[in-house]
Amino acid sequence: MSASPAPAPEDGTASAVPESAFRRTHPITPLVSGWKVIAAIVAAVSIQNIGSLVREFTLTRLLIGLGILAVVIVVSIVVSALSWRFTAYAITEDGVALRSGVLTRSRRFAPRARIDSVSVERPLLARLLGLAKVRVEVAGGGESHLDIAYVRAADAERIRREILRAAASAQAGPAASAGPVSGPSDPGSVAPAGPVPAAGSAAARGAGEGPGPTGAAVGADGGERSSALGAASGAAGEESGTRDGAPGAPVRGNLWDQVVLDGVSDGEQIARVPTSRLVHSMIRDAEFLLGALALLLGLVVAGGLLLWDDGPGLGAAVALIPALVAVPRLVLGKIEAGWGFVARMTDRGLRMRRGLLNTRTDNVPPDRIQEITLAQPALWRSQRWTRVTATVAGIGDSESEGSLTVLPVGTPEELRRTVGHLLPPLGTEDDAAALGDLLGARARDIPGMRATRRWQWIARRTEVVVLMPGFLVRRSGILTRRLQMISRDRIQGVGISQGPIERRCGLLTLTVPVAGATLTANGMEQPEVLAMRAVLEHDSAHLRRYRDRARWPRPALSAPTEHRPLPPDGPDAGHEDPRDGEQR
Amino acid sequence: MDAMSTPSPDPSPAPAAPPGAGGRLGAEGLRPVSETLIRARYLAGLVGYALAVLVIAGCIVVWAWLGWWWTVFPALLVLILALQSLLLTPRRVRALGYLDREDDLVFASGIMFRSVSTVAFARVQSVEVHEGPIERSLGLATLSVSTASAEADLTIPGLPREEAERLRALLARRGVETMAAL
Repeated sequence: MSASPAPAPEDGTASAVPESAFRRTHPITPLVSGWKVIAAIVAAVSIQNIGSLVREFTLTRLLIGLGILAVVIVVSIVVSALSWRFTAYAITEDGVALRSGVLTRSRRFAPRARIDSVSVERPLLARLLGLAKVRVEVAGGGESHLDIAYVRAADAERIRREILRAAASAQAGPAASAGPVSGPSDPGSVAPAGPVPAAGSAAARGAGEGPGPTGAAVGADGGERSSALGAASGAAGEESGTRDGAPGAPVRGNLWDQVVLDGVSDGEQIARVPTSRLVHSMIRDAEFLLGALALLLGLVVAGGLLLWDDGPGLGAAVALIPALVAVPRLVLGKIEAGWGFVARMTDRGLRMRRGLLNTRTDNVPPDRIQEITLAQPALWRSQRWTRVTATVAGIGDSESEGSLTVLPVGTPEELRRTVGHLLPPLGTEDDAAALGDLLGARARDIPGMRATRRWQWIARRTEVVVLMPGFLVRRSGILTRRLQMISRDRIQGVGISQGPIERRCGLLTLTVPVAGATLTANGMEQPEVLAMRAVLEHDSAHLRRYRDRARWPRPALSAPTEHRPLPPDGPDAGHEDPRDGEQR
Repeated sequence: MDAMSTPSPDPSPAPAAPPGAGGRLGAEGLRPVSETLIRARYLAGLVGYALAVLVIAGCIVVWAWLGWWWTVFPALLVLILALQSLLLTPRRVRALGYLDREDDLVFASGIMFRSVSTVAFARVQSVEVHEGPIERSLGLATLSVSTASAEADLTIPGLPREEAERLRALLARRGVETMAAL
């Protein structure tokens, strides 16, 4: 709805969209979008005057209030209806066109080659009415997305597929006709009813029957990516299909799962967070508990002040503001980010569905991930659960500020699969075990660059920076262990700095920025930092990102099954090692 | 087994690390920016200094007239701000240094809080040469280099105009040659 600047207003193409191709959004849209205005007004009015409203309650006042409310409702619905009347979208072979605006008409066009991902969001009210919003993410910074809001949920899924098909055909290019469509005989990536497969992914599926990740690394330039990807996910899909029949066996035609998963049912399942685990993990998360406690306390205090102080005084406001704004965001945000979480690997990236009240589905293309952080609160350690957040370039979501939870609480196996699909290889012999070590071992047992002075008595024990062949990793955190990982081929620059105290001690601070995130290591020994800086400068100048997964140098972390079949808790076999081994 | 699964850190990386023994934080051999920048900064600060003098005078007048002795404090604050700017500007300017190396651009700044940052040519997304009125009259220019990360961006003030143009051309050329923005 927002008339933001078009990501790429290619007028020539946009105006070429025939008028007949434009479709309206669902007629109930004005109700759904007008609702927010009404809610905001009611909330504002009642919060400001609740005291006097209660005190000076009379029937006429009530009637006047209701009358005003009715007028506001009618006006906002009329306005929304007008704007709905002028909003239309079109999906063509060239891309997605969206026009909107009553007074200032805006026409936006997302060319198919620049479409990065398509997500389906379902806010609460829309969900009750069976509607959904389709968001098309376009490559480029800033507010670079088109929203098609609202359409029927089933339509949303169809639109998503249509858009993805258009985008995929741009990618597949000449290889389009090459792949014979060999049907959904692939056990892993089960095709849902009426799936995407345009030429590109059909070829991918055909290639999926091939011998393995290396089998399909041929093809025309454009088709290479999707076909090799298909092969990888096919191979991995077989693995997951055979191993974890219980929680995540791909289902087909199961209506319940179709509903529950919001159509996220294609591709290999990477992770699925059962509600019991989510609740359990929250109880064990001190941060969350404190937040919930603060929320309760704030509500109680504010309620008390409201009652005693007759009406909202300054005190109530002070108590209310954090309670009503910050804390619910934290608490509800955590619940929303994890509820009913399902992640699947599709040929357009990692596809995640989540949400309790507002469900949303995101696509994360692995080649746009800049930084990944693993976190493990103290009480999760015994379960070896991990939370994974990723910083994605270009997804400038105002809510998440560019960082996206890609695994709210995952088992080691899910962690291995998620990280394996999202990151290029770390470059160690056994990446999964290496990750387990880095997160599981005590920081002082991990070899790497660290603070060494006596007076750095916390940092000395908790922080360490490790330079691995593929990544720069910083382990930190006292209770919640954090592992920040940035890929060495994505380093944008290297900075060192020194304040007066650090200079006196011969210490340095190293900052390593990537797009959207920065790794900072304070108080490290000067010679070590300078040596590492030289290495990183070299990396920044010479290392190149493989543009897509198909060209990553080694098989991704997720497919070690060919070399060594993993027992169910396989990736963590090396978990205990550094503690007992010769590391000390 | 242990040795296998442990991430092997590169303990002493081979590439020649500049010995940071000198007091200048590994920024030896940088080119200084033009000394004219000192004059430019003083000129640019003139308005500020004039305001500072006015404020101090005003405070003194108020003190003398109304007997509000506590106006000393704002006056002192303004005085300190103006004095540190007057006294330290030359040192600050002389602490700025840059160097275009084979693959990257290094920029160092700061006396007390010193920092040195490096941006590889391959990561440069855009280059801008900016000349304000004072800078232009003194033949100076400011070079801004931006990357995909705001933290890595560089701004080098006080370059002679030809030098700024040379750097801009160099960055544009090398940036295109080795493009790898993200």
